[in-house]
Amino acid sequence: METLILDLKKQIIEALNLEDITPDDIDTNAPLFVEGLGLDSIDALELIVLMEKRYGIKLEDPGKSKEIFQSVATMADHIQKHRTK
Amino acid sequence: MIKRLADNIVSPLGFTAQENYEAVRRMESGIGPGNDPAGTAISVAQLDPEKLEREFLRMCRPQREYTPVEKAMLLSASLAVDQAGINVSSPRTGFVLSTTKGNIHLLGMPDHGLGKDRIHLWHTAGLLSEYFGNPGDPLTISNACISGACAQIAALHMLEDGLYDQVVVTGVDMISDFIVAGFQSFKSLDAGRCRPFDARRMGLNLGEAAATIVYGKGNGKGISLINGSIRNDANHISGPSRTGEGLFRAITCVMQGIAPEEIAFINAHGTATPYNDQMEAVAFSRAGLEKTPVFSLKPHFGHTLGAAGVLESIIAMKALEEGIVLPSLGFEEPGIEGELNVSQRIGQTEKKYIIKTLSGFGGTNAALLFGKQI
Amino acid sequence: MKKITSYCRITDTTVILNGNNLQIPLSEGTGPGRLTGIYRFLQIAYPKFHKMDSLSKAGFLASEMVLRSLGYDTETPDGSTSLVFANSTASLENDKHFQETIKKDNYYPSPAVFVYTLPNIVTGEIAIRNKILGETSFFILESFDAEKMQIFVKWAFSHSDIQRVLCGWVEYLDNHCDVLVMMVEKENDNGLNFNIEYINKFYYIDQKWKH
Repeated sequence: METLILDLKKQIIEALNLEDITPDDIDTNAPLFVEGLGLDSIDALELIVLMEKRYGIKLEDPGKSKEIFQSVATMADHIQKHRTK
Repeated sequence: MIKRLADNIVSPLGFTAQENYEAVRRMESGIGPGNDPAGTAISVAQLDPEKLEREFLRMCRPQREYTPVEKAMLLSASLAVDQAGINVSSPRTGFVLSTTKGNIHLLGMPDHGLGKDRIHLWHTAGLLSEYFGNPGDPLTISNACISGACAQIAALHMLEDGLYDQVVVTGVDMISDFIVAGFQSFKSLDAGRCRPFDARRMGLNLGEAAATIVYGKGNGKGISLINGSIRNDANHISGPSRTGEGLFRAITCVMQGIAPEEIAFINAHGTATPYNDQMEAVAFSRAGLEKTPVFSLKPHFGHTLGAAGVLESIIAMKALEEGIVLPSLGFEEPGIEGELNVSQRIGQTEKKYIIKTLSGFGGTNAALLFGKQI
Repeated sequence: MKKITSYCRITDTTVILNGNNLQIPLSEGTGPGRLTGIYRFLQIAYPKFHKMDSLSKAGFLASEMVLRSLGYDTETPDGSTSLVFANSTASLENDKHFQETIKKDNYYPSPAVFVYTLPNIVTGEIAIRNKILGETSFFILESFDAEKMQIFVKWAFSHSDIQRVLCGWVEYLDNHCDVLVMMVEKENDNGLNFNIEYINKFYYIDQKWKH
């Protein structure tokens, strides 16, 4: 799980162009949206692409996406259960 | 103020403005099934390529090869210019092209052999004036989905400044993998036909079209573009402002001296995305237009991007001319917070003004005020 | 007479603000890394910069230098300023990047890239940064044209509530940057006349440093 979480943080930084942030800067359990990293609607869409491209998980239901993208921890949890890559 | 001399629409609903208007009156839609590049079913309003080719060859008798975008553009402009009876090769005739992506499909065809400049929007506009033997420099506007309004506003300035005696304003955009893939990545497409302002709305449908208005100077009888305004939300590059700031300001600007009660209807942008429609309702309300009948034309034509501002203005002007308010096709269940008067049936009106609104990526918003003189 | 009160020129080799060559020490040649280098040199704290495409970055940087040089405030919503830009290639540079994300054998269309496949987004970014609520427009010309620029700005001033127009040429293609941004004010005792002579002078100013 640790390896996945670190990989995920690196992927998020790259996918969302968070240039001045390192994996250590991202609190695994902090909210990703509104507070924390303060991601926006385009970032959310880009995370959906990341899930499919990197981990082979297709997210069709936008409502469900909100829960999954709450924090790095919730994302990692979902990836571990559903990844196909 | 500038006068509408002639108009044309090339769309799945027909090859003249009148044909398209009558189809709208009959509640017809040009939206049908299609696919995105991944094979997922979507709803789109696509031109029949064979019909386009046939009409293009018949009207334009081309001397060289043209892309589908160029054919649609030239066909529409030719038909409008023919109707206007103007001297199109005179330096006193100007051209304005409105398009968001032009020949973008060429990016996916690296060996197209049509020339390195073919992908440039200025080149597309150049083909327009070249076709008509016009010596001037056509103007090209690429300002997201409000481009069609910007092009008309440019024509307003050009004619009021005396740069030209008449201006041909053409808007065009066609569906491509590039555009469909992009909108899919935004999850902003409805798989079914779009439902502006409705509680069940799920997004927009893409459409393709070319539309042309020929404008001239002077007042007098007929339909005129009186005023136009463009204002930014300064909020987000793809999401509309929750307070409808930019659109409210654009509307207020064009309505100077005119009371809300004098407006027959608003032809909204009405793309049927959850946020756009709500934002427009907020802006209309703030401008005192919460009781003014509103309709969207997107369920008939889809969202035609660079053509939308021109195409939808043409239909709206025809409704004003006829003295009717069109219904908003597909609207059943109100899905907007706050007051909004969505038109649900054809109604008569004797009012003399209408407003056309558009919004687009980059926080852009535009409002146009048209008027009728009998 | 309308006045140019500040201007910024960014090319592949120079960054000039109001006649001063900023001599920014950059290790990068041309390309997006150079734009990030300019951003860091100017010590702008605006993380959204890194999400922009190169066209938007280039236009943003030039505008940032002009607006900050005038002490323009980023906090107060301003309905009296408009943004009018033009270029030749629209968003082609970024369009190519988006095309890369929709290859048949590697189809993952990127929304963050797609949103920048319109040239006017740069005006949106500047409007957001500075709370500018006036007009934002984008024109496509075959090449830089001072006379047309002057006409577009004149049109932007046609509404009486507009007091100033940030205008310019914002071009970026194949890692080459060609930007001139000017602040034009309706009334100001300072500044230089907003005319074709000065517009061309500032556009060609980088020639001074070419050998």
